[in-house]
Amino acid sequence: MSVELDEPVRERRSEFLPALFRFQSLFGLVLVFVAAVLYSPHKNGQLLFLDSGNLFNVVRSISEIGILAVGMTLVILIGAIDLSVGAVLGLASVGTAALLVRDGLGVVPVVVIVLAIGLGFGLLQGVAIATFGIQAFIVTLAGMQIARGLARIWSGGQAIGITYGDRPGQAPVAFSLLGERTFGGLVPIPALIFIVVAALAVVLLRVSAFSRHVYAIGGNEKAARLSGVPVTRVKIAVFGICGLLAALAGIVHAGRLNFGGPNDGGGYELDAIAAVVIGGTSLTGGRGSVAGTVAGALLVGVLRNILALRNVDANIQLLVIGLVIVLAAGLQQLRPASVS
Amino acid sequence: MTKRSSRLILALAAGVFLAVTACGTTHENSGSGGGQQAAAGKCKGPGAKYTIGMSQANVAEPYRQRMDDDIRTAAATVPQFAVNFADAAQDNAKQVDQVTNFLTQQIDLLVISPNEATPLTAVVKQAYDRGIPVLVLDRKVDGDAYTEFIGADNAEIGRQAGQYFANVLLPHGGKIAELRGLAGSTPAKERADGFAQGIAGRNIQIVATQDGDWLQDKGEQQADAILKANPDIQAIYSQNDPMAEGARIAAINAGRPDLPITGIDGLPIEAGGIKAVEAGRISATFVYPTGGKEAVAEAKKLLLDCQTVTRTQTLSTKLVTKDNAAQVYAELNRG
Repeated sequence: MSVELDEPVRERRSEFLPALFRFQSLFGLVLVFVAAVLYSPHKNGQLLFLDSGNLFNVVRSISEIGILAVGMTLVILIGAIDLSVGAVLGLASVGTAALLVRDGLGVVPVVVIVLAIGLGFGLLQGVAIATFGIQAFIVTLAGMQIARGLARIWSGGQAIGITYGDRPGQAPVAFSLLGERTFGGLVPIPALIFIVVAALAVVLLRVSAFSRHVYAIGGNEKAARLSGVPVTRVKIAVFGICGLLAALAGIVHAGRLNFGGPNDGGGYELDAIAAVVIGGTSLTGGRGSVAGTVAGALLVGVLRNILALRNVDANIQLLVIGLVIVLAAGLQQLRPASVS
Repeated sequence: MTKRSSRLILALAAGVFLAVTACGTTHENSGSGGGQQAAAGKCKGPGAKYTIGMSQANVAEPYRQRMDDDIRTAAATVPQFAVNFADAAQDNAKQVDQVTNFLTQQIDLLVISPNEATPLTAVVKQAYDRGIPVLVLDRKVDGDAYTEFIGADNAEIGRQAGQYFANVLLPHGGKIAELRGLAGSTPAKERADGFAQGIAGRNIQIVATQDGDWLQDKGEQQADAILKANPDIQAIYSQNDPMAEGARIAAINAGRPDLPITGIDGLPIEAGGIKAVEAGRISATFVYPTGGKEAVAEAKKLLLDCQTVTRTQTLSTKLVTKDNAAQVYAELNRG
């Protein structure tokens, strides 16, 4: 009798807790969002935080880190790390500006070439890691230096400005879409690209065999290999995707700022890792989701935005973001092993 | 079980997104409007309150921290002003976002020291086009969509440093070494070119030139090498104070503790160049003013007095030697 009465209660609890842990960043995002609304400064009777322009500024401001973080999620899911993405972003932004302005290429060839460079860079790192068995930390630390060096050589040490027009030395006007232009008058193009990338990644990790392989490798690489998962190929592909997305973020960066900066993107790899961690993906691999990462990136963006709107001192902002990362990682420690 | 909970999450997410978009559309056009007449639109006289946004490239550099401090000190004497500070930590994209946040806050005046010119140009123009007066400090933006540029002239400072070598340190000529800042940076080039003009025709030979990247430890390393290769140099021209401090350590190690070494920047802080001159570690330095105090003065003109301002304000430097170091330090800290 009493067992029957207790059952539904336990059932509900056992549903809620895993959901809380699995989607901790989404709950966190809702919390931070509500707090931001309550905490938002007013001006002329309107909440500045909820101004539509402001909300899309938030999404635009995290679009580059968000795109990087999607790739980083895959890498971390297989239990690895990629420290090179910030430098690859810088390299890609230089490449975009140089090819558009100095070489006079059209938008499509430039995008294809730059994405191919990012993909190639990532695949090479993947080969070094998966085929030759060098630690990902070391390979991508070296990759970070190499990409930064290449960016400086390609640019000649100076940032390359992008101006738009039809004359030689000017980029096609179409590329300026990434700057202040918006889709439907509201959604900034970089934000749109981020949303599309995230959606594609979520779908990829839902339906494909690739997804099962990624989680299997992160969970237990040896077991995955024994059960027939093409570990080497999957690992190389994951690093290739991460490099490709870093290059995409670099193209967005160049378009957003109208310039290619060889020193840009420094430290972005850490912001991306932070978004992944806040998103609930375990650094040991095998557990986590792209959706969590997207929520994690948004959470940081909303937090930064509201702190800035409230004029919180920049140093205090650093403390707050740091505490959120620790809190998220701490929650992961409490997570029951049964929650994937 | 997980399917049901994930569906719940999805519904929740959709709800949040809807809330976002729904709340959004109401204030779509807020903040736009205004026009090119930047100063006129925002001036409401001395009876009103004003919010000023200060967008700093990187407060990790002592010079830029001092710029913020100068603005804070000067603005504290104007009860109508409240200043919001943002630090971009040397990240162009972050600085763009921060200026955008200022626009959301509907600031009345923007002060910006850009990390780099080109990436900040568009967002500065956006602010200017909304009728917000824009004061650009130290580093410029491209184009002309700003109200006033306030900064020192690096070439002129270099020229005065050169003349100091020609007239005071080495009136009969001699061999010297130059420690330059970061290769490819504009101030490094301008301070070098100006210096060359200052010593032109005075029989002073620069026998060694090295890049110290503006850093003390790099300056020390380079000065070490220079003093080994050219033990006969009679003075060192360093393009900033930290590298000059590094060169002093190298000179002491090389047994030349009295080698004349000059710097540039002259920050009036404890760890700055003026104190180093007073203590005798640097022979002389040239003040590179931050423009923070001047920016607040211009903001007063624009917002409180409804006056126009000049397009460019070039700040003059000041030679600091052991004789006047204490006095200059006190003057610059009086506010």
